[in-house]
Amino acid sequence: MSIAPGVRTGLQPDLLGRVNARTHTRRLHWGDVVLSIVLIVFGVLMLAPLYWLISTSFTVGAEAFTEPPKWLPVPFTVDNFVNVFEYVPFMQQFMNSLFLAVIITVGSLTFSVLAAYGFARVSFRGSGALLVVMLSAMMVPAQLVIIPIFIMMRQLGLVDTLAALWLPALVNVFQIFFLTQYFRTIPRELDEAAKIDGAGHAWILFRMLLPLSGPALSALAILSFEASWNGYFGPLIFLSSPENMTLPLGLVVLQQGFGAAPATVVFAAITMVVAPLLIVFLIFQRQFVASVASSGLKG
Amino acid sequence: MRRPGAVRQRRRTEVAGWLFVSPATLLFLIFIAGPFVFAIGLALFKWDLLTDPVFIGLDNFVKLFTDPILPRVLANTFVFAFASIVTHIVLGLLLAIAVNRVVNRYLSYFLRVAVFFPFLISWAAVSLLWKYVLDPTFGFVSQYAAMIGIDTPNFFTDPSWALPAIIFIDLWHTLGFTFIIMLAGLQTVSPELIEAARTDGANSWQVFWKVTLPLMSPTMFFAMIITFIGAFQVFEPIQIITKGGPQNSTTTIVMYLYEKGFQSFQMGYAAAVAILVFLIVMGVTLLQFWGRKKWVFEA
Repeated sequence: MSIAPGVRTGLQPDLLGRVNARTHTRRLHWGDVVLSIVLIVFGVLMLAPLYWLISTSFTVGAEAFTEPPKWLPVPFTVDNFVNVFEYVPFMQQFMNSLFLAVIITVGSLTFSVLAAYGFARVSFRGSGALLVVMLSAMMVPAQLVIIPIFIMMRQLGLVDTLAALWLPALVNVFQIFFLTQYFRTIPRELDEAAKIDGAGHAWILFRMLLPLSGPALSALAILSFEASWNGYFGPLIFLSSPENMTLPLGLVVLQQGFGAAPATVVFAAITMVVAPLLIVFLIFQRQFVASVASSGLKG
Repeated sequence: MRRPGAVRQRRRTEVAGWLFVSPATLLFLIFIAGPFVFAIGLALFKWDLLTDPVFIGLDNFVKLFTDPILPRVLANTFVFAFASIVTHIVLGLLLAIAVNRVVNRYLSYFLRVAVFFPFLISWAAVSLLWKYVLDPTFGFVSQYAAMIGIDTPNFFTDPSWALPAIIFIDLWHTLGFTFIIMLAGLQTVSPELIEAARTDGANSWQVFWKVTLPLMSPTMFFAMIITFIGAFQVFEPIQIITKGGPQNSTTTIVMYLYEKGFQSFQMGYAAAVAILVFLIVMGVTLLQFWGRKKWVFEA
């Protein structure tokens, strides 16, 4: 810790890159020390369950939950991780989750980009009304539409397949709204100039608007990927065979299904889901935070 | 004066517009608008998916409103939503203000990671982890409490503790979202205004109540809307940890819907429940917008 008394030299950008330039701090010195300590304790408490999770997953099952609580993996083992694969087809479930997240992210963004271009840049009769109808659908709870979709998928014989999950997710009204708004902030004069030079819609969209929309696209991609990767309600309703399940559902089945695994094996499985996420997050922290902050623009 | 060919040009634009929006529109009709209309019709039928649907008029709604457990279910859901709004907004705002004041770069980074990361973990992993953390024999919470002589309840089997425990877990999981929204909102509070208030002799307390809080009220309003919509539809931790028990003390409206629709396959009845969820979410959201002018500061 480096809280120099009365001096705040280290001006560093905060969340969104702004610099906090407040300077009068001399009389707040002790308050700041107390505040820092409180915040450190709070942060440690937030992370404690996750640390305990990872530590316990490396501990021999019989020794893992003895009193007093253990914060180091003693005696150490990796057997818990090996055993996960005996209880559930973990790799298959990992691939299912990955497949779903990729196809949903790429598919929905493709359709949303096309639609947003139509709404933001091409004036055609009925576009306003259509957009309003789509946006009002953001108010409809997912559970309301999932009942008919469940019946539909039963009729089509798609229950217990991943198609039941990714087909309906190809349309994302929030993305359409977000991108339409974003495209509208890009000056239309650019389109007119390009048109005079003979550019068509495809050129304007793919060569001009999309390269200017990087932050919006990456934010939406992260949100979409994350929602699919973490989704539970849909998989719970549609998927029943372990080899068709996604990771979140697989975890719950591992803990609660027939022949449930011992606690340390469940911990190892959760660790295998959480640890890669933590690494990706630490690398792309800025993008993750920006994507969530930008979802705030929804209001 | 119309140039010759202007009409053809106009028609081409019309066609282009519809072409761009047609994939998303088609998917929207199949997977959102269609199911929405279908669900409303479905609520007038009794259908178990095995035998033919039977038209029963409004009987599903009559049955719903006379179900003796409905008041309990709605009370659980509203208590959860209200507690969720208050805890998230108060803690999220205070935390954001505190972190904004912290100058140490590493401490600020540590806190953003510690508070935000849990939000990225799937509900499945979070629920399973906390099931163990709060377990009376396995979990470190009860073990430490026992060491200092406190006898903890069995959080998930004690009817008076189960819902508060779920509220607490939800706070741990989603506080990061509110925190990021609040941090982003704080960027709109101009340091000059705070500086001016201080020059006029305002202390920290007055600055918080008279400057920061009013300027943050639009962000708090947005957080309130989003938190309510999400919290009212809480499902995963309840389905995974308590299954609505003990004695329906944690059955929320979406858990109830899941039991009726996807466990006992009363599709018409589940549709009626979903319509109730839709109406309540929409009604409360409109009410919040109506109450907006009473407390939200408009610059």
